Amino acid sequence: MRWAATFVCTAVFLAHAQEFSQRGFVAVGGNVYPQTFPIDSTQAIGGVLAHYEPKWRPRPWLAFHASFEVGMDSHQQFARNLHFDWEDRSLQRAPLSIRELAAVFTTADFTITVGKQFIRWGGADFLNPTDRFAPSDLLNLADQEILPVTAARITYTRGDNTFNAVWQPEFTPARIPLVEQRWTFLPPTYYFFATQDQGSAFPGRSPFGARWSHTGASCEYSLSFYDGFNYFPNFDVQINPAASRLTYSRTYPSLRLYGGDFTVPLSRFTFKTEAAYYTSSTKNQDEYVLYLVELERQIRETHITLGYAGEVVTAHGNALQYLGERGFARGVISHVLYTIDPSRSLRLDAFIREDGASSIVNPAYSQSFGNHWRATVGFAWLRGEVHDFLGQYHRNSFVKTELRYSF
Amino acid sequence: MSKSFLSSVFALLAIAHLAPAQDARQIMLEVQNRTRSKTEHYEGSLEVTNSSQKISKKRWQYDRLGSYGNSRSALHFDSPAEVKGVALLIVNHPDRASDQWMWIPAEERDRRIALQDRSTRFFGTDFSFEDLEERDVDQFEYKLFGEEVVDNAPCWKIQSRPKESKGSQYTSSVLWVRKDRYFLVRTDNFNRDRLIRRIIYGDVESIDGIWTARTVGVLDNVRNSRTVLKLDKVKYNLPFKAADFTREKLSQ
Repeated sequence: MRWAATFVCTAVFLAHAQEFSQRGFVAVGGNVYPQTFPIDSTQAIGGVLAHYEPKWRPRPWLAFHASFEVGMDSHQQFARNLHFDWEDRSLQRAPLSIRELAAVFTTADFTITVGKQFIRWGGADFLNPTDRFAPSDLLNLADQEILPVTAARITYTRGDNTFNAVWQPEFTPARIPLVEQRWTFLPPTYYFFATQDQGSAFPGRSPFGARWSHTGASCEYSLSFYDGFNYFPNFDVQINPAASRLTYSRTYPSLRLYGGDFTVPLSRFTFKTEAAYYTSSTKNQDEYVLYLVELERQIRETHITLGYAGEVVTAHGNALQYLGERGFARGVISHVLYTIDPSRSLRLDAFIREDGASSIVNPAYSQSFGNHWRATVGFAWLRGEVHDFLGQYHRNSFVKTELRYSF
Repeated sequence: MSKSFLSSVFALLAIAHLAPAQDARQIMLEVQNRTRSKTEHYEGSLEVTNSSQKISKKRWQYDRLGSYGNSRSALHFDSPAEVKGVALLIVNHPDRASDQWMWIPAEERDRRIALQDRSTRFFGTDFSFEDLEERDVDQFEYKLFGEEVVDNAPCWKIQSRPKESKGSQYTSSVLWVRKDRYFLVRTDNFNRDRLIRRIIYGDVESIDGIWTARTVGVLDNVRNSRTVLKLDKVKYNLPFKAADFTREKLSQ
């Protein structure tokens, strides 16, 4: 709320705005699940989301970026008690959310952004191992979003080189699925255990990261470093099988990352790769390399991306870790977007585990009506085996619809 | 006939053949020089009519720093609402194809437009990404085709072919240049013998001493659709800064 007050006061003080722009949308949508899930019998979820995004540049060297969201749904993925959420640490989404609220200072070579903001480092399309300042919102595993972080970011650009340093005073965790819902993080064995959530222990230290990127004539590449915490939690669990009771709490292990990405446009296709090595000083924590290799090609109105996401575990830990993005590794991924005409498009996303233990195929059709309306209908088809991170949700195939009014 | 006579005949023939090519390049160089400015700004309104006569409208703001092969352009969509905030950065080079990045707000990051993707339509318009580049005269070879009258104005008809390094979707283009103003009024772009795109520059007026087309019409001969771009609030030589034409600035 401090940032909100600061933003409003500054806005009033600098009332003689030079440049102001705004945009936003109101979206109404829902998911229909043909099958029930063992612990979640809800088969239809409806929701509404309003997004407003003003931008204001009172001086050539100063700009304010903001975006706010108001949302509610029928399945309590949005909390029902009306409150603002600045930290994004709650298990549910907040009904009133500050997605972005940042001041941007610009000089000839430097850009300094202070406040809540989105920071994307990754260059690949499906999985971004180097994106450590972009925690995921996984309330629906098959329809992920990115969360903003509160940070100070300085960017220095000189010629073809850009240096980026980020300091995050307060750690932002990923939002993992809710325990009692169909994307639950519980293994199938414990679906019918009574659960008691003892909360999260958030780290006190501030994460830091730096990235150097170079844009060359024939390729672009970057190197990145992150020292902070994994935004996916470890679980401390006590299980009482006799009472069918499970008590758990979340901790966020330390994480040090060395990563990079490389993109080279070739004559027939664009080659992209991104990789990161994750180490940790936390005992019993896995250490691993997560990487992605992909080819991208545009053929007339069809944009095709085909890739492989891989993982190499260099040290095994026995902590109970939520896999998160690692659950989308060791598989072939593809994305096809066919633009039928300026108002209509067809999309097909697919992920197939290399051993065939799980797959997601997600076709969607989208059409705009006039200058403001867009309707989207899609279907996420999940298959798999219960021992697989994604396969355990094989009963979660769903139809998704959305009607959006943009302004 | 003596050997030296034959050599002289061949030399004359060679000069006769080369001279028009040189003239064509000089004409295009003059076209480039007369439209050169340090910076350019305009607000563009686009009307796209597809093959079934359905019309969609868009608006963008265009800024350019530098000119012809040594320039940077930034293009920001204002409307319709669902594409508002989409931006394109073009970094033009004197000796090769441009570098392009597109910022899509929903993805919160920019995406490089690969060279092989430059023939793609730009955001539902009939412009391809390549058509938005600024092309330097030295990236093409020219040949004078003859003369024609376009809209009652005598024009040179010039064929241009991209040099190897250009990597263009077009194998050749035919350009019509008004003789009185050294101003490009029409371009037909071909892939081999097939007409792909026709660009017509109309409503020409002098702004700050630079002949400027206030209307640019693009006809996509393959899809049978057309786009009309109208340029408003055209200003040249505004004091832009290089720092405003970076990937970082695309999102702002």
